[in-house]
Order: sequence, then C-alpha cells, then structure tokens
Amino acid sequence: MSPTPLPPPGQKLEHYVAEAPFDAMSTERLTEAQERIYLASQWKLMWWKFKRHKLALISAIFLIFLHASILICEVIAPYNLETRNSHAVYFPPQGIHMFHEGEINFPFVYGTERELNMELLQWNYTNDTSKRLPVRFFCSGDEYRFWGFFDATFHFMCPPEGGTLYLLGTDQLGRDMFSRIVYGARISLTIGIIGISISFVLGITIGGIAGYYGGFADLVIQRMIEVVSSLPNIPLWLALAAILPVNWSPLLVYFGITVILGLLDWTGLARAVRSKLLSLREEDYVLAAQLMGADSGRIIGRHLVPGFASHLIATATVAVPTMVLAETALSYLGVGLRRPITSWGVLLNDAQNFNVIALYPWLILPVVPVIFVVLAFNFMGDGLRDAADPYK
Amino acid sequence: MKNTGVVILSLLFAATVFAAAGHAADWVEQPLFAERVSSGELPPIAERVPQVPRVIDLAAVGRENGRYGGRMNMLMGKQKDVKMMVVYGYARLVGFDENLNLVPDILEKFEVEEGRIFTFHLRPGHRWSDGHPFTTEDFRYYWEDMANNPDISPGGPARTLLVDGQPPKVEYLSDTVVRYTWHAPNPEFLPALAGASPLFIYHASHFMKQYNANYRDADDLAVLVEEAGVRSWTGLHLRRGRQYRPENPEMPTLQPWHNTTQPPSERFVFERNPFFHRVDTNGHQFPYVDEVVLSMGTTSLIPAKAGSGEADIQARYIRFDHYTFLKQAEERNDYTTRLWRTAKGSQVALYPNLNTEDPEWRKLVRDVRFRRALSLAIDRIEIAQVIYFGLVQQSADTVLPESPLYDPSFSEAWSGYDIDQANVLLDEMGLTERDSDGYRLMPDGRLLEVIVTTAGESTEETDILELITPSWEKIGVKLLVHSSQRDVFRNRVFSGHSVMAVWQGLSNGVPTAQMSPWELAPTTQQQLQWPMWGQFYESGGTGGTGVDMPEAQQLLDLFAKWQGATSDEEKADAWKAMLQLYTDQVFSIGTVNGARQPVLVANKLRNVPAEGVYNWNPGAYFGMYLLDSVWIDE
Repeated sequence: MSPTPLPPPGQKLEHYVAEAPFDAMSTERLTEAQERIYLASQWKLMWWKFKRHKLALISAIFLIFLHASILICEVIAPYNLETRNSHAVYFPPQGIHMFHEGEINFPFVYGTERELNMELLQWNYTNDTSKRLPVRFFCSGDEYRFWGFFDATFHFMCPPEGGTLYLLGTDQLGRDMFSRIVYGARISLTIGIIGISISFVLGITIGGIAGYYGGFADLVIQRMIEVVSSLPNIPLWLALAAILPVNWSPLLVYFGITVILGLLDWTGLARAVRSKLLSLREEDYVLAAQLMGADSGRIIGRHLVPGFASHLIATATVAVPTMVLAETALSYLGVGLRRPITSWGVLLNDAQNFNVIALYPWLILPVVPVIFVVLAFNFMGDGLRDAADPYK
Repeated sequence: MKNTGVVILSLLFAATVFAAAGHAADWVEQPLFAERVSSGELPPIAERVPQVPRVIDLAAVGRENGRYGGRMNMLMGKQKDVKMMVVYGYARLVGFDENLNLVPDILEKFEVEEGRIFTFHLRPGHRWSDGHPFTTEDFRYYWEDMANNPDISPGGPARTLLVDGQPPKVEYLSDTVVRYTWHAPNPEFLPALAGASPLFIYHASHFMKQYNANYRDADDLAVLVEEAGVRSWTGLHLRRGRQYRPENPEMPTLQPWHNTTQPPSERFVFERNPFFHRVDTNGHQFPYVDEVVLSMGTTSLIPAKAGSGEADIQARYIRFDHYTFLKQAEERNDYTTRLWRTAKGSQVALYPNLNTEDPEWRKLVRDVRFRRALSLAIDRIEIAQVIYFGLVQQSADTVLPESPLYDPSFSEAWSGYDIDQANVLLDEMGLTERDSDGYRLMPDGRLLEVIVTTAGESTEETDILELITPSWEKIGVKLLVHSSQRDVFRNRVFSGHSVMAVWQGLSNGVPTAQMSPWELAPTTQQQLQWPMWGQFYESGGTGGTGVDMPEAQQLLDLFAKWQGATSDEEKADAWKAMLQLYTDQVFSIGTVNGARQPVLVANKLRNVPAEGVYNWNPGAYFGMYLLDSVWIDE
C-alpha cells in the first residue's frame, strides 16, 4: 500500500486510515486480569465503579422505578385525578391493616363512620372496627383513557366495595392525595427530563462551538453566558411565566414552562463543555485525527465529546433536581402550572396556609416525594461523577 | 386607689351641683380622666356630655350596663385600616339600629317633609373630641367651604347630595338647626349618612380653617404646606382632615374613640372621646373601654395571631375555614368564637360581562337563556355541603329571608340543579355543534370555553369554581380559571377583556325599602356585569357606553321610580320589581348565601351579642351593635 502523494500546499489532507489490524499487544503481553481492565470499554469501567457506590445505585434504581411509574400512573393510582367524594372532605390518611385481633387477614381497611362536629365545624372520621373491608388488588375501578388510546378500568389497587382507600388522606374537595401525588409525578418529573434535554442540546452545541473554535466565537458566547446567568432567576421566571397567554390550555402552559426552564439552564453546562474542550483539543489524539484529515464536526463528535460524555451525564443529573425544584417553586408561587394540571408544586400551592399545618397536615405530603427525588438525583449524580473518572 | 375614689366622689358631688336640667343628675366620672379633670385640663363629665345625650337602654336590647376601663386589642392589615375605627364607632348623624330602622344618633332629632325637606336638630352642648362646640357652623363650613369650593371639590358636591344634578338649598336656622331642601325627593340622603363609609356633611370648622386659604394668611399657610411636603394647601387640607381615615391625631372627631398616634406606625392607640354623646341609663358615658389598640401586620397571619390571644375582638381577615382552628385554641387563650351571619346576596357569584369586547361572546352572554342555563347547571347543594357544612342557603344572587323585601321566588329563580333544562336552553340557542370531547362550539366554530377571571384572593372562589367545572361540563361548557391581582382583575373586567368574573354577590342582602337599590341597576363602573353602562351613568354620559339592552334599561327606569317615590309602599314596589327582574334575568349567577362569619371575642368582654349579622352596609360590621357599649369584666 503506497502512501498517496501529498496535496499541494494549502490543500486539505485526504482522510487516511490504515487498514492493517491493530494489535494492542504487539509490544507487551498482559495478564488476563490486566487485560480485563485495560481493554474494558469506558462504559464498562464506569459501571464497575458506579456499582461500588451503594447509595448511588439505590438512588438510580429508585429513580428508574419512579420514572417508569409515570407511564402507568392511571394504573397505580387507586382513584382518578379528579375523582371527588363530597362525603370524605379532609379525610385523614387511612391505614391498610393485616392483623385483626391477632389474626392474619387479607389486607383490609376498616369501615369509617363520619359525623359532623358542630362545635368545631369539622368532620370526624372514626374507624368502625367491626367492618373489615378487604382492599382489592388487580381490580377494576375508576374508568380512565389509557394513553389516549382506549378506555380501561384496571388498577393495581382499588378501594374496597362500599369503602374508601385514602392512603394519604384527601383534600378540601375530597380528592385522594395519594392518587394526586402519583399523577403529579408525571408532570413534575417529565419537566425535569424535558427541561434538561433542552438545556443539554443547547449547552453542548453552544459550549462546543466556544471551546473548539475559541477566539471571537468564544468571546461572544462567554459574554452571552455571563449575561444570561446574571439575570436573577425567580423574577425572570415570573416574567416569562406571566407572558404565557391565558387561554393556552394547561398542557401548553406546561410545555411553555418546561421550555422556559430549559432555556435558562444551559449556561452551566455550556461552560463545562467549553472548558473540557479547551483542554482536550490539545491532546495528541486530536492532533493525530487532524493530521489524518478529519473535519471539525467529526473531531468534536467522534473524538472529543465521548471523552467527557460521562462528565456531561453527571452534570446533567445534578441539574435535574434544580428543574424539579424550579417547577415546584413557580407553581407554589402561583405563577407556574395551573389547576387542573396537577404537579407537586400545584399541590403544595394548595397547602400554603397555617390552617393546613394545624389541622390537615397530610396536605403537605407532596413535599416528601420532592425531597426524595432531589436527594436521589444528587446521590446518583455524585456516583456518576466519581464513576466518570474510572482510573482514579 | 383610695385617693381616686375620693376624687371621683367629690367629682360626683361637683357634677350634681353643676349638672343642667333633666336626668343628667349623677354622672360617673371616668377614672382615666380624674387627674385631667382635677388639674382643670378637662371640664367635669357633667359639662362634657351634651345637654340632651343619646341615652341607650342596654337592658332593652338584652345587654347590661357596664364599668369603665380597660383596653381592647384588634389586629389590622395596613395603616389605612384605621378607618375601621370610624366604621366600628358608628357615630352617624342618623344610623341604623339593630332592627334596621333609621334613628337619630349625633342628631337629637330630624324631620323629613315630602321626602325632600330635611331638618336636622343638633344636640345642644355637643362638643368635638377637643372640647370645641359642634354647631351648624360645621355644616356650613362643609357645604360652602368644602363641597362648593372648586379647589377642594373639583367635581362639586357628592352624587348623593344632588337630585337630577341640582344641589340642595341649605339653611342654618340656628346654632343647632340646619335644613336641606331639594326640589324633588332624595331618598338616598339619609341612608348615605348612615352608611358604614358615611357621607360626611360636616367638618370641624374651627380646626380645618387653619388649613384653608380663605381663612388663613397665605404666607402662614405656605409655610405649613412646605413643612408637610405637599403641593398645595388643598392637599394639606385633605391630608389633615380625613374624617374616614383618622390618621391625624390632632383632628377632632365625634366618634367614640379618637386617634392618639402619629403615623407612620405599626400600632395605633385610640383613646376614649371625653365629649361623646351616648350615655347609658346608669350615669355612665360611653364608651366603656378606655383604649382601643390596633396592631398592623400581615393579613394572612391574623387568624393565627388572633388564635393565640392577641386580639380581644376580631372578625376582619378571618374566614369561615379558620373557624375550626380558632375553636380549638379557645380554651387555651380564653376567648370564644361566635358564628355571625353574613348578609351578602351571594357568598360567591359569577358575573357574565354584558360589555365584553368580543362580539360573539357578547351575543351569547346577553342571551338570557345562556345565563339561565349556566345558573341551572350549578350544583349548589354540593357546594353547601362540601365547603360550608350545610350552614348556608342555596340561592340566586338576591336578598336574604331576613329582609322585608324577600320573596322565595327571588332566591329560587333559576337556582335549582337541572342539567336537562340547561341543555335544552343551550340547544334552543342553536349551540348544538360539539367537539370530540363533547364540549359545545360557538357559532363561529370556537370552543365554548368560559374563562372566569378571579382576583386571586380567596381559595373559597377557586374551590367553588372547581366544583362548578364538572357540572358545566355536563352541559358542554368548559370552564377555565384565570387568576390575577385585584387591580388587573378590575381593569380586565372594565375594559371588556373578560367574559366572566367571579366576586361576591350583592353587598347588601338585608335591605329595607328605604335603602337604595342601586346595586340592581347599572349605576357604577364597579358592577362587574355591566361596567361600561355603569360608568356611563356614573359619569353622566361622558364615559362608558349607554345601555342598549331593554331589560337593563328597565332596571334603570325602576331605579328612577324608586328615587322619585315618596311613600314606603312605592319604594317597596320598585324594589320588588327590580329584584324580580334581576333574578329572572340572572344578571349575576349566585351560589349560596347566608354563610357564617367567625367572630372572635375574648371572654372578658361583655355586651357582644352571641348572634348577629356581620355586614358592611347596613350594619358597619360591629357598628350597629354599638362597640362603645362593650365593657371589660376583669
């Protein structure tokens, strides 16, 4: 195979790749154990390292389950989102029992009696232990339209015949809090995912351009990032959320909020990409690729980005909870999502008065999933960041 | 203690000696003033009470005579809430008693001839809180130097002082007699004087003259204007003499308590007026309580603060849903929470905006069948059960059974729950096209979605709207809620951007025939169902647009008929015709009324009725029940 003659000066080199098989062991033989490590792909190495971080692993599993659940929340929730029971207003959380007078039973709930306490103007719900109502599993309950395709009534868990199943109590209109939290996850979690995707694309593209080309492009982009990140967050969200037209359907508003959150969040990522690129582009293998005639798109996409993709993922993971928190904050302030869209923030917005804390504390339970999701994302991000540098 | 006792006794003796004729024989001096009286700073009580005081027989209304002394705490939101002391004090020329009769209060007596000649007799010896005599000069000052001074009142006298645009002839017959004469009846005059936010037709002339360029050397006044940092002497005059917002501690008043705190402040102390004109049958001058303290704070925390015992009497900023919380803390903090009735025409009402700018929508909301259908598709029983524990009545937006004008046909008009009839009405209108979700389409093909604008202030409104949403869905109407702030809300409604608004119903649900039925006719821009027609009426045709709907015009005609009526029967007839038309036409969609208002009362307070009507007008909240007759038993 004869090398092609050099092109005249100033012309681009042709992309040349040797066809001879590459033998990594041509100079030094490795033991089997060494071979396993040295020849493992980067992803494999990361997984090994990640597995050792138990907390991160548990968090990851938890998050996978949670995100999988939003696909089927109709099935998980015992009630529909808007199912109201005007006979069970401010119903306190109801326990599922297994034991009755020392005997094991099929999981059941006690029947409840309600009476109006005219003195306090409060409904009192008392357990009627003589009535044991078995909870139904894999059953048919409230009808819903599954994924907009077909009507179904299947639920994992349904209230017993003639009874109620309010695991986390009900709100001021008699709607099941557990079901609403399950449905709320669909909105609150997807906002994180969609928002981060938008900021991911923006961050990599813009940061990539700045880092690889440097010079004037870098200067302009750096200043742009500084301007965007110097805007105070909450007032800007408020302003942007306020210009969403009123007659937009709640679904469009939801999408609008997601885009707004995404549009403001890419700057950190773009900076990370830029600085990584600045150092990586000086590496020998980049020079090699350049000498081999690869164009810049190929160098960024094929040689540079995979070199720090793991870092990107870790950064993104840590950024997801900020999205979830931002949505919660906006909705809590009453400018984000609106009823009837139900997110955790919207649920918390309903709970913002001292009455709730004094009398109906279960209405602030949507805080719990927010805390867990934010913690889980942070632990997982932590694990991923460690794993991203497997040789350390 | 002994010394004060002696002082009081000797004062009593002095009082008996100096007392003028009549029953004012043995007045009891207030311990608070004992020192000031003995030092000569204040005259003794016998000289402070008018020669003919208003004697209130508390036993006759089931209450008891009390003792002097103590302090009453109340919680308020902002500084301008000091006006509540004028509302609660309720010293008016004429005022409503608990049976809604107009009785003379500051006036000794009044006569009305032909509904147009009003003769007022002041109480001889009545004084302002600074001791200066209260005479017809104070009426003259208001009429000539304020109402008819173009610098102070560029718009001329208040609307209720004009009949067909004509001002009254005002005669000052003596120091204590003043007469107002119009060419035609003015039935709104007396109720305006008795209002919670009253029409003031007098002002402390001796005090206000120092700020009036007609009475004061221009250079002196210029210095004062400069010091106060206002633009002109009229600004100063206004600022120093706000009778409905007694922020200026120097301004004399006729109310039971006068302000002693210079704003700005978070805490206002009101001290008893030594020259107040009401007395009990036991020789005590009202008010019993020496001091009222208003503490300003965040309104959302007021129920929590009140529940921890920081208020002695409180209903403002407390909502029905706070009741349970307040009740639970009762024993700990030694108060009782009472449930008074409210007297709004409807606790929450929907107002279809007949002046909305979108022509298609305007056509729909002006169709009475549309309004009736929407009203029929509200499940009021569910609202009553879920939100009010059933302690309300399902009703259209109209008067309550407590009103002598009430008729069951008003509250029942289109307020049953009848989905089928509602659907029939909408079908009749030709709204038969539907989309795939079953919602109706408007004639131009748009989705029939009613966007209800709210002021975003109460969860009660949003909860009720959320209960209405599914039942409107059953008639193919989609309900969307747009919440904003109060100013934005008003602007959207006034400009016609909004199709429907949610607010409380008629503010006066317990009217008598003598009170004005202005709320039922397009008379002011503040009315959310016809802001532009109201503005037209209010501005005398310079703003807004004229009424172009026969039914609304009919209401205006009936209103004019009420204004021209001279007998109570004629007035009642006009009232009832208006109520009938208004409810039949469903100009506002009512939900429930007669809801309860929690009133927190410290256990040491006496003479606060266990049951009452908590209403703005008539009533002035606590004013009608004479807050000055409340005393502290410690």
